[in-house]
Amino acid sequence: MSQVAAGPGRTARPTRPRRGAGTWVTGVVLVAITVWAGIGVQVDIPAIWRNMGNASGTIVKLTQPDYSFFPQTLKPLGQTLLMAVIATALGSALSLPLAFLASRTTTGTRWVVGVVRLLNNLVRAVPDLLYAAVFVAVIGTGALSGIAALFLFNLGILVKLVSEAIDGLDTGAQEAALAAGGTKFAANRTAMLPAVAPSYAAQVLYTFELNIRASTVIGLVGAGGLGVLIDNVRTFYHYHYLALIILEILVLVLIVETASSALRKRLAR
Amino acid sequence: MPAGHRQERREASEVVFDGVGVTYPNGHRGLSGISLSIPAGQMVGIVGLSGAGKSTLIRTINGLVPATEGTLTVGGRDVTRARGSELRAVRAQVGMVFQGFNLAGRTTVLNNVLMGRLYSTPWWRTLLAAWKADDVEAAMAALERVEIVQKAYTRASELSGGQQQRVGIARALAQRPSVILADEPVASLDPPTSHVVMEHLRRINGELGVTVVTNLHFLDLAKEYSDRLLGLRAGSLVFDGRGEEADEAVFESIYGRSLKADDVLDAVPDLGER
Amino acid sequence: MTAVTQLPPSAPDTAARPRRPSRLLIRAGWVLLVLAVVLAFWGVDADWSSLRQFFPQLGHYLGLMFLPPDLSSAPEALSATLLSVQMAWIGSLIGTVISFPLSFLASSTVAPVWVRLPLRFVFALLRAVPEVVIAILILSVTGLTAWTGALALGIGSIGTLGKWGYEAFEAADPGPLEAVRASGGSLLAVIRWGVWPQSAPEVLAFWLYRFEISVRASAILGLIGAGGIGKMLADNTQFRVWDAVGMLLIVVVVVTMIIDQISATLRGRIINGRWGWVGFGRRRRALTPRGAR
Repeated sequence: MSQVAAGPGRTARPTRPRRGAGTWVTGVVLVAITVWAGIGVQVDIPAIWRNMGNASGTIVKLTQPDYSFFPQTLKPLGQTLLMAVIATALGSALSLPLAFLASRTTTGTRWVVGVVRLLNNLVRAVPDLLYAAVFVAVIGTGALSGIAALFLFNLGILVKLVSEAIDGLDTGAQEAALAAGGTKFAANRTAMLPAVAPSYAAQVLYTFELNIRASTVIGLVGAGGLGVLIDNVRTFYHYHYLALIILEILVLVLIVETASSALRKRLAR
Repeated sequence: MPAGHRQERREASEVVFDGVGVTYPNGHRGLSGISLSIPAGQMVGIVGLSGAGKSTLIRTINGLVPATEGTLTVGGRDVTRARGSELRAVRAQVGMVFQGFNLAGRTTVLNNVLMGRLYSTPWWRTLLAAWKADDVEAAMAALERVEIVQKAYTRASELSGGQQQRVGIARALAQRPSVILADEPVASLDPPTSHVVMEHLRRINGELGVTVVTNLHFLDLAKEYSDRLLGLRAGSLVFDGRGEEADEAVFESIYGRSLKADDVLDAVPDLGER
Repeated sequence: MTAVTQLPPSAPDTAARPRRPSRLLIRAGWVLLVLAVVLAFWGVDADWSSLRQFFPQLGHYLGLMFLPPDLSSAPEALSATLLSVQMAWIGSLIGTVISFPLSFLASSTVAPVWVRLPLRFVFALLRAVPEVVIAILILSVTGLTAWTGALALGIGSIGTLGKWGYEAFEAADPGPLEAVRASGGSLLAVIRWGVWPQSAPEVLAFWLYRFEISVRASAILGLIGAGGIGKMLADNTQFRVWDAVGMLLIVVVVVTMIIDQISATLRGRIINGRWGWVGFGRRRRALTPRGAR
């Protein structure tokens, strides 16, 4: 680093380091990607202005839900809730052992951890509705497809989150169990499971929230629940009905979220 | 002997080191040329600077650190070449007490002590936490011996440091071990509690005849609570004798300097003139 | 002379062994939970009888899809996926640009209550409504194109980005903020020099994370017609061209996994300050915001 000549009784001031090439490169890359994406998507900002008129009309209609439609929404609403419960129950059950297999802290064999993680990333890479679309095409419309789709969806999420939680655990008690002559399985069951239990429960609750949101819309491709109703109604631009359904979704999600966060706070003691 | 304690004198084991050395994967030499024999029922204290190899030595005995040279036997069983279920069989005989207590904080004291019975518990019992009645009895008896049974159903994290270490000792006891290793068991405890814990270890050694090997940071504690003192320096044994024989010269050879107040637990502070 | 604490002489432990505490409450809780799940199974309108054929049928279709997948449709699948990625990029860009100032305005360290609360309410609203529904609303007005899909993604992400934003800003250490204020800095200065430097890594990390999520969401938007891979999937499943569906799924999965991995590595670099393989860290810090997917 070159230095400015020092004045009497002073140390030389360093010259300002050149801003790393890294920042410039990042900036250029980001702009390039944005331009590429913009062209592909055919960004058309004036279109927003043009459609504003339509939009305001719709928004007004949306604020006037048609409550008489309510009784017809009850069954789909119930199905939505039940699908989410079942899928979360099944998913959380299977994800616990898988999460242990996916963490280096609890599984000694590297390749097992690698394979489980890879498979899980694969499962996680498919969005919920895509699963639903495929299952509907394969086994038909109805709640079964929905449950299957949600199951895979939340398996991917839970295994990742719980295995990350396990990665961060203190391994002291596990070492003690091994020192006492226990197998790795026994050490994990007695020492690590109680330690990860609160995180696990919190993540299951969180996944339940996600499941509720997802299950309201998988019906769009025929997998049961409120989504089916939305699909029926949207093609006819029945905004008042749509408004009611959206309102119900909002209420459901907000209730579940509030209950879930309250429970999770209690668990984090 | 007072009535009421089941006096189960253990089939204590001899620990024999023969040219044992440990070289870590990064090339660092943790131990070199350790040859000694610890007869059954002896209480041994190991002293030395941090990094001198005390922890390594202790951990080779139950195979937590694999010895890269030499042979180590515990009660006649070769630890250095044991793998899998053989290694676990040896470990089941060797109880360990840790500096950081190593308890599972979120579960009860009893569940922690029961971890000592893991070797003889089939996997399905472990999975369902369906412990055998005998094992629960053994755990309770161990807790009674360290005088903390009333906390059996308390969450481990709610106990004080000294209490947690006593639970650690109970866990080791529940194994019905022939050897107990203690890796700096009192490093995180205050002086009075340290003495309580060390006294428990001494009683176990005296009443049950279990071989006890302890790493200690404080020389006076080591002298007080051991039949035999081992001094380690840079991975080699530099002293092997009784506490009384450890004079200034011996101390220099172990620590490379003269005794300071830091090396002694119950030092009287030096309020010298300024 | 040292004072050594003496243990009481070895006497039988007269304290009786404690009784096992009643676990009635916990047991009752579990029973209720199991009951709820069982009721759910019973109440859901699913054709359980078809369950027996589920796996064989699934196997059959999986075979049709992947043995072998239709390699000739790979180029088309790739370009469709890239379109989805472009949608996701523009969408997250819009979302971050809009939510950035808004999340400052929603944090208690910056804005007064009467500004914060309505904003947070709007965020909660946008978060509660699934993106697809927002997309449907927007698309019914503006028509089904990739651009409007991107808009829908952007607006849909304002809720989550806004929330993560204000949570991060509020978690900033108040010390530096005080320092800026004390030296006479305006609100803008406090934000620029007090809040932002602390939260920047976290915020950048979750912008990237949100992009990962948007990639998946854009595939979904395609299903309802906004273009990209979802549209291709819908078309192929409708006409039952299974081997093309298989190819599609492979392309989607591969591209998503690549983006996930790049994003995770970048986020690791941002949060931890150095490059590192994020795959199998033992004690790596969580790279996802609290309460994120």
